[in-house]
Amino acid sequence: MFIDRLLNQGATPMLEQTLQFTAARHKLIAEDVVNISTPGYQQRDLSLPKFQKMLAERAKAADRSAPGSVDFSDVTAEVQKRNSGILFHDGQSRSMEELMSDQAKNALMHNLAIELLRHQFQQIQMALKGQP
Amino acid sequence: MFDALDIGASGLTAQRTRLDIMAQNIANANLVTYDSSGKPNPYRRRFAVIAAGQSGDPSRPGVHVKEIKQDMSPFIPKWDEDRHEYVMYPNVDPTIEFTNSIEAQRAYEANVTMMEVSKAMINASLRLLA
Repeated sequence: MFIDRLLNQGATPMLEQTLQFTAARHKLIAEDVVNISTPGYQQRDLSLPKFQKMLAERAKAADRSAPGSVDFSDVTAEVQKRNSGILFHDGQSRSMEELMSDQAKNALMHNLAIELLRHQFQQIQMALKGQP
Repeated sequence: MFDALDIGASGLTAQRTRLDIMAQNIANANLVTYDSSGKPNPYRRRFAVIAAGQSGDPSRPGVHVKEIKQDMSPFIPKWDEDRHEYVMYPNVDPTIEFTNSIEAQRAYEANVTMMEVSKAMINASLRLLA
């Protein structure tokens, strides 16, 4: 119970959700890249602005509540069609540049969340040990 | 996240198959065989039809070569000095093959990059445990 509360307060649950989001988005981007030459394939993506908006709203709610009492587990993004680039004759609107840029940004976001989460765990470890 | 590696691997396989077929087309661009009656039988260009989904299980994310089809476009007639007649040559245009091979090569490289990023993300996640 004590450990649960310790792990479910502050930025930890938000970072966990961010990691789940980046992992799911990475899988979709990989699928889009792999089907770059597939005729008629409809590319898909997760909306980052929508996810961040939901996360921000939940963070505001968490600020007004007791620590660890707000659940973040249902903050997810819906899969949507990616509408980018020009429509080619094979019925696909692809943009390799946009895909590669999205995967780079997504990987950076993933690594950032990992580093922040690791920092959170280190802080908890220091507090438990009682020494820096 | 390990799925991303399988997805990337399916892309590498599909693009390599495309490149193999293009290499086969270029290698046979001037191949004309003759049957027992002396009738010319030129090589017909092949191409890969690719589709979404893993091979063996199209419901899983990825890509695969669905089938290899023959290009039914007309053969190219060329004058044969020895036979004193036009002989049909394969319907292979090296320019088209080279252009397609560049596209396949770029797609292959993009998949390699995706796999490298996937590995880096998995490594970063695993470092949380250490």
